[in-house]
Amino acid sequence: MSARSRRITGVLAKHWVLGAFRSGLGLSPRRCTIFAREWRAAFAELGPAFIKLGQLISVRPDEFGRELVAEMTAMQDAVPALPAEAIRSVIFDEFGRTPEALFATFDDTPIASASIAQVHGATLRADVRPVWGAVMPAGTQVVVKVVRPGAADAILADMVEARRLVGRFGGLLRGFDAMKLIGEFDASVRRELDLRTEARIADRFAFDFREDPQIEIPRICWSFTTRRVVTMERVIGWRLTDLDEAARAGIDSKALAIYGATAFMRQVMVYGRYHADLHPANLFVTPRNTIAYLDFGIVGHLTKDERESIAQVLAGLAYRDADRALRYSRRLGVEVPPDKVDVVRRELGTLLDSMFDPGGSKEFRHFGLGFISLLRRHHIDIPSGYGLLVKSLATVEGCARGLYPDIDIIDTARPFVTRLLSDSFGKPERIEERLNAAIHAALRELVA
Amino acid sequence: MATDDVMRFFALWMLTHETADEGLKAAVARGEDSGPAGMEGGPDAFVDGLAAMVAAEKDKLKAELAAGSVERPSADEQKLALEELRFEVAEMRGRMDALTGAVETVLAKLDASAPVKG
Repeated sequence: MSARSRRITGVLAKHWVLGAFRSGLGLSPRRCTIFAREWRAAFAELGPAFIKLGQLISVRPDEFGRELVAEMTAMQDAVPALPAEAIRSVIFDEFGRTPEALFATFDDTPIASASIAQVHGATLRADVRPVWGAVMPAGTQVVVKVVRPGAADAILADMVEARRLVGRFGGLLRGFDAMKLIGEFDASVRRELDLRTEARIADRFAFDFREDPQIEIPRICWSFTTRRVVTMERVIGWRLTDLDEAARAGIDSKALAIYGATAFMRQVMVYGRYHADLHPANLFVTPRNTIAYLDFGIVGHLTKDERESIAQVLAGLAYRDADRALRYSRRLGVEVPPDKVDVVRRELGTLLDSMFDPGGSKEFRHFGLGFISLLRRHHIDIPSGYGLLVKSLATVEGCARGLYPDIDIIDTARPFVTRLLSDSFGKPERIEERLNAAIHAALRELVA
Repeated sequence: MATDDVMRFFALWMLTHETADEGLKAAVARGEDSGPAGMEGGPDAFVDGLAAMVAAEKDKLKAELAAGSVERPSADEQKLALEELRFEVAEMRGRMDALTGAVETVLAKLDASAPVKG
């Protein structure tokens, strides 16, 4: 066993023992929360690869328990900054020139430092024409995001160790396929290590929202973008965690909450591409009363059929129709075995009813995560895309409620759902599918 | 009597259509009265609202047919397709900018490693 393997095993074992001790040898009713807290501490201690793994877990309620997902969501991806010289040497490697030769100014003090990249401020030396949007004139403030030297090697080496450990001890992990998760993690991290992917997605989002003056996407400077460096327009504003200051500046939080939730629904229902890593640090409110999206590391994709099925599931939720929600969840890949259909439908009905009870929770989070818990309880496989979408919707709801506590996320989805369902009514296959039922219903009425 | 039976059959057929037509007209009228917001009032209100939307689309289609323009893509569709094309071209320009940057990097590195003439 390598020194790194021994360290990983040692740290995980230490926190497992601490968890067992703090939860009274597993007897405490709060044991899941206590263990989740220990796993978070262990991941933070083990460094970049595990911090990224924690982020991946935080968007996968389909694979992990509610407590672990909540803990990993709270884990901040912030690590001590590297000296500016290390970052300057990456820029020199990538462009053959110093930051001063590329930009009019370059700030050695980082704006942010995360496990994969460090971000510095700069200003443009000459005009830059982005893929979409107005030309950025010389003097425009930009941010230069640089992959930390050694980050890729360290993360990929940890991945090899993780595969080895899972191969040896994976059998002890019940309830999920650890090797499959490592595979997904590997793909996700490799995507994130190539900053051009994020830049391309940012361009696409800028195009999607081209006619919406209330949504801002930072423009990319492709002349100063490579695999390890991305340069983009700097967004000045407030993070969702600094809203008191925004309110003092006259920002209309309620209107922005409704608008932000609607914009997300448009991503899901109309464009079929959505920002799947939304959290207060990736969303800015600007002094122009607009919303700015940052960091397109995790993006979900949906086909037209999937969007229609999601609309049907949401319609099932709005009309307390468990049958409909279950039928269209199947189209999204949730296969309920025949012997479990009745019990799952009954429990889903109870969950839906609880949302309409006086005083019951109207939150999507309550339904979405409750449905996933229900499926997990019955050992029903949940496709990863389903978990990612539910988590994203729940997060958007959480962010919107931070701005405007009374927002009803289902209400914001309603116009999009109606449009999608209306569109699908006219499809020949849909008419064919429903024609028999319609003829039978008509005949029943005639002979009644 | 056989003739009478056929007549009764057609009468029934006509009555069914008439009743369905009246029902649809009533649904369209209810849907128009309550507007888009009324569709949130449950499944029946949703169907009324949908009927009103379909009726509006029917009128649009009728006007398009009268103008002989139904076969051509609408101006909106054409605009959308052209904007998509414009984006794809702009994306290619972005790649070209990145490639130009890469060539400049190679040149800068060559310049840096070239022996100094003296």
